[in-house]
Amino acid sequence: MSKNLPILLIILLVLLPLQVVVLGHLALFNIGFCFVYVLFLLLLPIEISPVKSLFGALLPGLVVDICSGTPGIHAASCVLLMFLRPFWLNNITPRNGFSVNTLLCIANYGLSWFLLYAGPLVVIHSLAFFFLEAAGSGLFWTTLSKIMLTSFLTLVFMVSLQYLFYPKSKV
Amino acid sequence: MDQLLKLLYKYRTFFTFLALEVLCIWLIVSNNNHQKTVFLNSATGAIGTIKESINEVSRYFSLAKSNRELAAENERLRVQLLNSTQVPDRGVPFDTDPDTTDMVQYRLRRAEVIDNSISLTNNFFMINRGSRQGIRPGMGVITATGIAGKVRSVSKHYARVVSLLNIRNMTSARHLPSQRMGTVQWDGADPDKARLLYITREVKVQPGDTVITSGFNAIYPKGLMIGVVSAVAPDPNQRDLKIEVNLSVDFGTLEYVYVIENRHLIEKDSLIKNDPLNF
Repeated sequence: MSKNLPILLIILLVLLPLQVVVLGHLALFNIGFCFVYVLFLLLLPIEISPVKSLFGALLPGLVVDICSGTPGIHAASCVLLMFLRPFWLNNITPRNGFSVNTLLCIANYGLSWFLLYAGPLVVIHSLAFFFLEAAGSGLFWTTLSKIMLTSFLTLVFMVSLQYLFYPKSKV
Repeated sequence: MDQLLKLLYKYRTFFTFLALEVLCIWLIVSNNNHQKTVFLNSATGAIGTIKESINEVSRYFSLAKSNRELAAENERLRVQLLNSTQVPDRGVPFDTDPDTTDMVQYRLRRAEVIDNSISLTNNFFMINRGSRQGIRPGMGVITATGIAGKVRSVSKHYARVVSLLNIRNMTSARHLPSQRMGTVQWDGADPDKARLLYITREVKVQPGDTVITSGFNAIYPKGLMIGVVSAVAPDPNQRDLKIEVNLSVDFGTLEYVYVIENRHLIEKDSLIKNDPLNF
C-alpha cells in the first residue's frame, strides 16, 4: 500500500480537476456524461481495508458533488460502487490470482480483464447516480439511455487514459 | 452487549456502508429541491396509509360528538341562508363572459384528519385526500369553526398540512372592529392561543374583539374566523400591542376539515410575478 499511495494521490490530483473543470461540462447528445474520476476507485489495490475504502470513495464523490452543485448524489453512488466492488472482485479472480499490492489497471491485468471488472461497476455507478438524480422512475427511458451512454463514455475515457499514461512497455 | 458489539464489528463494512449512504441521502434530500419534494411526498403516502387504518377504528369513538358539531354547523348555515338578503338578479342579461365557472372562485373539498399533533413547536396534521382528489400544495385548510392550516406536501391519496399551531406558519389577519391588518402567529406554548402581531398602539383593541382572515393572500378567502382577542397589553417599549387571541378551532379534537381551492390563484400570482419594478 505504501508504495502505491503517492501514485494514487497523484492520480486523484489529476482526475478530480479533469472531472470538475473539463469533463463535468461534457454532455454528448445532451444525455451522455462522463464520470472518469471513478477510475480512482477502481484502481485501489485489493488489499485496502473495506472500511477505509468506503471513506476513500466518499471523499472524491463529495468533492465532485460540491463542485458540480449536486450535494450527495455522486458520493452516494461512489459509496455504493465501493461497497459492491469486493463481491465482484471475488467472482472474477484472474487465472494467476491477484498479485500483491498492485493497482487494478490494464497494465497489470490486461484490457479484457479490466473491461470485465470495470464494466458492471461503472454501470452500477451511473445507475445509482441517474436514479437518485431523477428521484424515482418517472422518466424511466430517458434515464436508461443516459445510463447506457454515460457508462460507455466513462469506460472509453478510462481505457484511453490508461493507455496514455501507462505505456505497455511498463508491464 | 458483548454479542452486540461482536456483531457490529463482524459486519462493520456493511454498517459503515449504511451510515455513509444515509449521510449521502440526507445531503441529497436537504440540499436538492426536487429530491426533497419527492422524498416528502412519498413519505406522506407511506405514513398516511398506516395512520388511516388506525383512524378507521378510533373515529367510531367520537361519532356522537361529530354529529353534534355537524348539526350545529347546519343550524348556523340555515340561519345564514334565511337571513341572507341577496336576491339573485335574473333580469340582467349576460354581458361579456357567459362562462359560469368563472363566477366560482373557491371550491371546497371535505377531508378527514388521520394524524394530528399539538404538542410540538412545529405541528403538522395529515388528511386523507391527495393529488387524486385535486389537493395541491399551498391550499388552505379550514374547519367549520375557523382556519386550520396550509397544505405542505401531497401524495396520491394523502396530504400533510402545516397546522396553524406551527411557529413558522403566519396568517394574514384583520382585527374586525378597527379593520386593521395584522399577522397571526402561534408562539409555541398554548395550543388554544396565538399572537396577533403588528397592530400599532393607537388602535383600540379590547378582549372579545373578533379576528378574521384578511383575504390578502390567496390561501384563505376573506372573513374566515380565526379567533377572539383574549388579552391586550400595551408595551411602552414597543411600537406594537401585545395581543393574545383565543383560537376558534380546537386543534386537539380536529376531525373533519375542508380544503379550499382558490381558482384565481394562478391569475393572482401571475400579476405579482409580472411586476415591472420587481419588488
